[in-house]
Order: sequence, then C-alpha cells, then structure tokens
Amino acid sequence: MNRRRMLRTTAGIALVAGFATAASAQQADDIAVEAAKRYRGTEITIVWEAGLQSLDPLNFSGPLWEKLTGIKVNVIEVPTAEMFTKILQEHRAGSGAYDALNVIPSWMADLVRAGALEPLDPYVDKYGYREELEDIAPVYRDNQMKVGDTIYGFPDDGDVFVFYYRKDVLGDPDIQRAFKAKLGYDLPVPPKTWKEFRDVACFVTQHTGGKPYGAAFFREAVYGQFMFQERFRVEGGRFFDPDTMKATVNSEAGVRVFEAWREENACMPPGVESWGFVENLAAFLAGDTAMTISWPPYGRWAAGYGTEEQALAWVPKSKIAGKVGYALPPGGHPQLAAGFSLAVSASSRHKEAAYLFIQWLNSKDTSLKRVQLPYALRDPFRTSHFASAEYQAKWPDAPAYLAALQAGAVTGLLDLSLIQTDKYEEALRQGISRLWAGEDPKRILDDVAAQWDAITERVGLDRQREAYGQWAAKPNAYPR
Amino acid sequence: MIRDRLAGTAPREAAPASAPRPPWRERWFRYLMVVPAVTVILFVGLFPLVYTLLVSFQRIDLVEEDTRFHGLVNYARLLADERFREALGHTFLIMGIALPVELILGLLLALLLLERLPGKPIFIALLVLPVVISPIVAGSAWRLLFDNRFGPVNQILSWMVGEPLTILWTVHPRYVYPAILVAEIWQWTPFMFLLLLAGLSAVDRALVEAAQLDGAGYVTIVLRVLLPSIRPILAVALLIRALDLFRLFDVVWALTRGGPGTMTETVSIYAYILGFQQFETSYTAALAVVIVLLLSLLVMLALRRVEIAR
Repeated sequence: MNRRRMLRTTAGIALVAGFATAASAQQADDIAVEAAKRYRGTEITIVWEAGLQSLDPLNFSGPLWEKLTGIKVNVIEVPTAEMFTKILQEHRAGSGAYDALNVIPSWMADLVRAGALEPLDPYVDKYGYREELEDIAPVYRDNQMKVGDTIYGFPDDGDVFVFYYRKDVLGDPDIQRAFKAKLGYDLPVPPKTWKEFRDVACFVTQHTGGKPYGAAFFREAVYGQFMFQERFRVEGGRFFDPDTMKATVNSEAGVRVFEAWREENACMPPGVESWGFVENLAAFLAGDTAMTISWPPYGRWAAGYGTEEQALAWVPKSKIAGKVGYALPPGGHPQLAAGFSLAVSASSRHKEAAYLFIQWLNSKDTSLKRVQLPYALRDPFRTSHFASAEYQAKWPDAPAYLAALQAGAVTGLLDLSLIQTDKYEEALRQGISRLWAGEDPKRILDDVAAQWDAITERVGLDRQREAYGQWAAKPNAYPR
Repeated sequence: MIRDRLAGTAPREAAPASAPRPPWRERWFRYLMVVPAVTVILFVGLFPLVYTLLVSFQRIDLVEEDTRFHGLVNYARLLADERFREALGHTFLIMGIALPVELILGLLLALLLLERLPGKPIFIALLVLPVVISPIVAGSAWRLLFDNRFGPVNQILSWMVGEPLTILWTVHPRYVYPAILVAEIWQWTPFMFLLLLAGLSAVDRALVEAAQLDGAGYVTIVLRVLLPSIRPILAVALLIRALDLFRLFDVVWALTRGGPGTMTETVSIYAYILGFQQFETSYTAALAVVIVLLLSLLVMLALRRVEIAR
C-alpha cells in the first residue's frame, strides 16, 4: 500500500515537474513569436541608428522575424544626432510612421515627458517578460529601463567605456625597469588612477620616442563630453547643487580635469585634440598608441573579430591582435556613454506587434545572437552574455574582454539626463572645443556653468530640480 | 494690298484707342487656367512663410506646445541674444572676405579663358568640377585634406619648411577661418567664373576693337569697356553668391561644426542647432522670419542699386 502511494506520489511530482519544465522552457522569444503570429501580414517600422548598427535589423533580426512570424520589419535609418528630433517630430505630427524605436537612455525622460513613449509594463506582464529582464546587467536594468516606476524601454546595448592597453608594451621588462628607476614605483599594469595613467603614458612616450605613444584618446568635443562627465565625477565633481540647482561644473574638480587633459595631450600624438572615433581607432589598431579608452567594439576589432566582414572593410587591419589587455578606466567608474534602449512609439498603430518584436529582439536567446554578430555594434548587456561559453570562445582573450564589460556594468556611470539634456551637453561640447583652442579652463567652465544656469532658468528651476533629483537618486549617477 | 502687306510696305492701320474687353467667359477661362499654378505657388511658397510667422508668435519647444498668441516674446529674446548677433557677425565676416575674393579670382580666370587658348574646353570642364560637388562632400573632403594625421596639406607644408608641422586647421582659432575660406572659395569661384565668362563672351567685339583703335590699353579696356558691359551679370552673380554665403552651412558644419566654441557659427548653423537639435521651434521660427526680412532687404537694395528690377 505504501509502495503504491509512494509510486502515485512520485508519478504526480514527475507530472507537475514536467509541466513546469515545459512552461519555463517557453522562453520570452518563443512567447513573442507565438503571439506575433496573429499579426501575420502586418508591417512594422523601427527607427535604428544609421550605419553599422542597422545591419542587425536589415541583415539578421528583421528577416528572421519576418520568417518566424510573417511580420515585415521596415528599418528607418537615422543618424544619431537626428534620432531624438525625428522621433519627437513624428510624435508631434502623430503620423504613426514609427512603431518601435531605438532611444538613447538619457533621452528617455524627455521623450516620456513629451508623451512619445508607450509604457511597457502591461505588455511585460501579459507576455511574461519580467523574469528575463532580471538577467539584464544591473547597471542597465536599474538605470536605463524606467522613468519613475514605469518601464519605457528595454536596455539593449552595453555601451560602456573600456580601458585598452598593450600588454606587450606595459609588460616590457625594459620599460618596467626604467619606469621604476625613474618614478620609484612598479609600473602598474593597468594604471588604476589618473595619476598613474599620466605617469605611464608620459614615460612610455619619452622612453620609446613616440613609437608607440603612451596613450591617445578621442578628444573631439562630441566624444570628449562623455569622457569629461566620467572623469569629473571620478574626481569628486557634482554637476549641480541639488538644493539651488546652481551649476557646479566649474568647481575645482572640473578645472582639474581640463588642466589634466591639456597636460596629458603633451604625451599623446601631435594633433590629438582633433581626433575622433576613427582617428583614435586607426592609431591604436596600427600599434601607434599603447593605451586608450573607447566603446566595446574597439576590443573586438583589435582582436581581429569580425573585421573580415565586408561591412567592416573600413576598419584598419589590427596589428595588435593578442596583445591587448582590457580593464576599467582609471578611477574604476566607466561612462555608460550613450547606449540604446528599445521602446514602442506612443503614436504607433501596431503597438502590440511592435512590442512583441522588441521583446523578441531583447530576449536572452535572440540578444545573445545579436551581440555576437561580427558586423553589428550591439555590445553584451546581459549577465548571460558575459557568461556565454560561445562568446568566450570567439578569440583567446574574449573571457577577459567580457569580464571587463561585466565589471563596467556594475560600476559604470550614467550619462547626465535632465529636461533638455542636449542643451547642457552642447554647452559642454563648446567648452571642450574652446579648451583645445587654448582658452583658460576656469574661464571656460565658468561660462559653461553660466550657460547651464540660464538653461535651467528657462526650463524652470523647480521642474529641473525635480528631474535632476530623480536622476541623481539613481544608483549609478555618481560613484558610491 | 495683300501683296503690299506681305511685303510689309502697306501703311499700318491705326491701333484702336482701347482694345475691346474679351467676353467674361473668356476672362474667367483665363483666370481658371492660371489657378492651379497660382495655388501651387501659394501653397509651396507662401504657406510655409505664413505658418513660420504664426509659429514665431507662439511658444512651442521641446517641453511645451503652447499655441496661444504670445506676442513678440521670441523676437524680444532674439534681440537680446548675443549668440545670434555673433552668428550674424561671423556670417558677414565670411561673406565680406569670400565674396570679393571669389569675384576677383572668377573675373581673372574668365578674362584669361576669354582668349583662345589650347585645351580651353578641358580647362573649363576641370575648373567647373568643384561646383558640381555637394557642399557637404566638399567640406568633408577639405576636412580630410586639413587633417593632421592623414591630410596632405600639413604634409606638404612640412616638406616646405623642412620639419614636421602640426597645424590644427579645424581646432585652432588662428586657422579655422582660413580653412573655411579656402574651402568655400575653392568651391564657388568656378561658379563666378562661369557666369562672368558667359557675360564677357557676349560683349560686342566691335567695342573692344574700337577702344584698341583709340589706343586704350588692356587694363583700360577691361575697366572701361568689358566690366561696364557685363554690369547686370556681375550684379546677379554677386547677389546669388551673397545670398548663398548668407545661408552658409555645409562647409562650416563639416569643418568646424561652428567651433571652437561658437567662433565660426553662422546664422544657419545656429538656426539648425536651435531648431533641430534643441527643438526651440517658435524661437527658431522668429529667427527665420528675421533672416527672411534681412535677406529681402538685402535683395531689394541690391536690385535697386543695379537697376535690374526694371
């Protein structure tokens, strides 16, 4: 009798376990595909950054989604600088031309205030996506997904600054010996503070006669403003006084950053002030510089991953494959520079279909394939991406690369996000270009602060204080 | 009589004091025929202007969409906007240098190629090439030419002085204007040249020969015969280029994006930043209205001055 009961109980448990397994086996991508089949024949339009980024929906995810669901995806390619404007213009026009959107997380607050983004919580619950969202790395999930308590976008790109250094140069025994003899301490590989960074960069440049230079960065204001935001906070700077909303970007920390930048330029290649993404990339891949900071694709391309692709023919062939180390930038708090979240347009006429598409794109399984596309620019952003054995086998140093990205996804710092953020950023960009024109750092930053105060006044001090308060309260607004 | 008429020798009949008015149906038919064209012109030309004017009295920006009438608030802000005044100054500075240089170079080239020269058609075709390039492409090409790492300009200058030179053409305040002017003049001098060459080619050779018989030298002929003969063409060429230079955007955007700071920001770049990056719709509309008024004034004065309006 006992045996019979035991058998019956065991059979019952096995049955329940089987159902549970079957239910949990249905991942978010499968759920999205199944649900989307009822929209077969529909066309949806998604806004995507022009260039390499959009090869993902054009060559991979768009055609695959159509094959799986019968929903055709039209991709509207828009340059980054125009994405915000186009999205807002379309929303104001109410044409319903866009269904799904790629938005830079720091814009989300502005777009939500304008009513341009659809709240996603009801869909997330309806299509059982909440559990898979937990797999998104904390820094993105906790900071780039919600406005207030509402989900408006799925973080979809692990854009974080990574510190790249040449292991063969910094690890060269001759250089290490000479460094210690001159500076009195062991050459740090990699440098952990900005002082160490400057010591190493200048020493390598002097020691090698500029072959290679110790370091180089993109100094063009468009990119420089991200680097300023990071380093300013690492040096202890705060953007505003939270009580008065007076800009404090002209504090001692700000001036220190500007002055340090100028001093460091002396140890970098001539003309570095005008370098952008490509100039810096070309120099690093050619082996002309020993250290740099940039977005994750530098690391993949330096290892030679994907550079055989036709779409990446413009990327110079790496002469430093296997020689690159990956780390957090000095100070340990990399900027989460830009990035993208997937959202649904509030004026879309196919909201459900658009939502299902972005859930499928963002899901664990689909996103793992997308971040490995050799030609696309989506960077790993899920815990499961960092742990993926498939990704870790892509090149010998891929585990170290993914470890650096994962570390950045814990301590990274958010882009400043306020009402009309671009106006503040524009003032900062102008300030950086004036720095390279030779003006006094303190004077520049005083002007930037004055411009910021004027913008705050125009926006409305109380509204902006509230917006800043919400942003500053996020876990990764300032180093903790 | 018929023969006389055919031969054109018959006395002309006196024209009636006033032609009889066509019947109303015919008149209405004529009006009806032009209605589509006039509607299109009004819609394409006038509607945006009126709409811009309307928006300039409202308060539409990134944050709010207040379409109530707010009077001259945007215009008052514009008057106090130092950055707008600076942008105007930069625009006029570029215009003040580029326009005469393009005119002089274009004229010299036209005078040179007015004569019969071997390979003249090839020279003209080559000279015209920059005009057919899109300005943003020309600007990007010059950015590359001026680039410190990859560009040939610094390389050539380094060879000339015998040591490596680092001139940051798009960064340093001393060089940004020369860089912009070189690119702008390179692209648009051929346009001036083409118009002036067409004008000079149409000058009656008898006038030149008469002046030569009177003992006039080459410079006198150019100044006293050729230039006065092409005055209307000269005026049109200057007017077109002045308007183009007032709207200058592409080359400056490609080279400096208005920097360093706002040092090379033109009115068009400022309007673009305000309207398309910062979404200050009403304020940008006010700025556009002021620019239209300024340009209309400029055109009217120029036309009156050269008497083309007649």
